[in-house]
Amino acid sequence: MHEQSLVRTLLKQVDAIRREHGADQIREVRVEVGPLSGVEPLLLESAFDQLAAGTFADGATLAIDEVTLQAECRSCRQQFEVDAFDFRCPDCGGHVRILRGDELMLVSVSVACHEHAKISS
Amino acid sequence: MTDCTKTINVRRDVALEAKADAEAERRRLARRGTLVVNLLSSPGAGKTTLLEATARRLTPRHSMAALVGDLETDRDAQRLSPLVPAAQLTTGGACHLELPLVRRGLEALGDPQVDFLFIENVGNLVCPASHDLAEHLRVVLVSTTEGDDKPGKYPKMFRTSQAMLITKLDLLPHVPFCVEAVQADARRIQPELDILEVCAIQDTGISAWCDYLCQLRSERLAAYQELA
Ligand SMILES: Nc1nc2c(ncn2[C@@H]2O[C@H](COP(=O)(O)OP(=O)(O)OP(=O)(O)O)[C@@H](O)[C@H]2O)c(=O)[nH]1
Ligand SMILES: [Mg+2]
Ligand SMILES: [Zn+2]
Repeated sequence: MHEQSLVRTLLKQVDAIRREHGADQIREVRVEVGPLSGVEPLLLESAFDQLAAGTFADGATLAIDEVTLQAECRSCRQQFEVDAFDFRCPDCGGHVRILRGDELMLVSVSVACHEHAKISS
Repeated sequence: MTDCTKTINVRRDVALEAKADAEAERRRLARRGTLVVNLLSSPGAGKTTLLEATARRLTPRHSMAALVGDLETDRDAQRLSPLVPAAQLTTGGACHLELPLVRRGLEALGDPQVDFLFIENVGNLVCPASHDLAEHLRVVLVSTTEGDDKPGKYPKMFRTSQAMLITKLDLLPHVPFCVEAVQADARRIQPELDILEVCAIQDTGISAWCDYLCQLRSERLAAYQELA
């Protein structure tokens, strides 16, 4: 349910990018998900296939990069990978902010183009 | 003519616009003096009972309104209506509230200028964690009857909350629930969590909870005035 509405938002953004670049067909949409994205990759993939069918993104693949949780200590600036959701700084025990792994990130969009009609970007 | 593929680099949070929208709403409500509190828990942890006790304690001195989310029925709004302006948000099956529903609820109440707006989310420790309802304070409730192992199982909910309320304290002698264990588990995930203990049906801890709310309201609203 949640994945469906995320994919709807994602497809809208992909559509806008595609138009901006004058492309018709989408080949691949690459996203990044992490342990706190609130997204289950398998469900995201099936929602994508379902909602892309019959649209400009029909047949496109959704490439999902699964990343780990990265954080930075707000006291000592140490950057580290969060293990087992333990958010205490391993060096000083300080409070941290998350750098990566808590969102659904649109990384890139691959579109079909033709050599004779090179698209400038 | 050869077919080729061109890759356009984007690197953008898909929820960027939704986050900006929620932030704008949060600012609007803060500037006119409303602190928005999003209450989350598993079904039956005691959100509505807490709101009833909170309303009794707060309303002599402060104004408040409540938006209550459920899949079906207006039972929770019926419970709260005798005490405070309350609107039911029925999601028709969806397992969480989203900002457009909250806006509709506010409209139904006539966009009231209250000190506190409480949003009781749908009972669920998963999806509501991913939806910003323009709240200034996110509070997760854990009842003594549901086990002390919940934070580690639902890390996003606890990571994104600023406060945790341990509810149904009166049942502590009857259930295997360790307050220290749940505190430690939650603080590992969110070391900055404020933790309070309440028993809404006996009115225990409610005055400390209301003091906490008032203190937070002053702090948060002042922070938004400075941004102005
Ligand atoms: N013993 C005891 N029972 C409580 C307490 N608070 C709530 N309850 C009971 O727990 C049950 C659920 O309480 P609600 O307040 O309806 O819980 P809720 O979180 O609003 O439930 P949903 O909206 O359905 O998710 C009710 O039978 C309450 O009477 C408490 O402090 N002690
Ligand atoms: Mg309720
Ligand atoms: Zn540190």
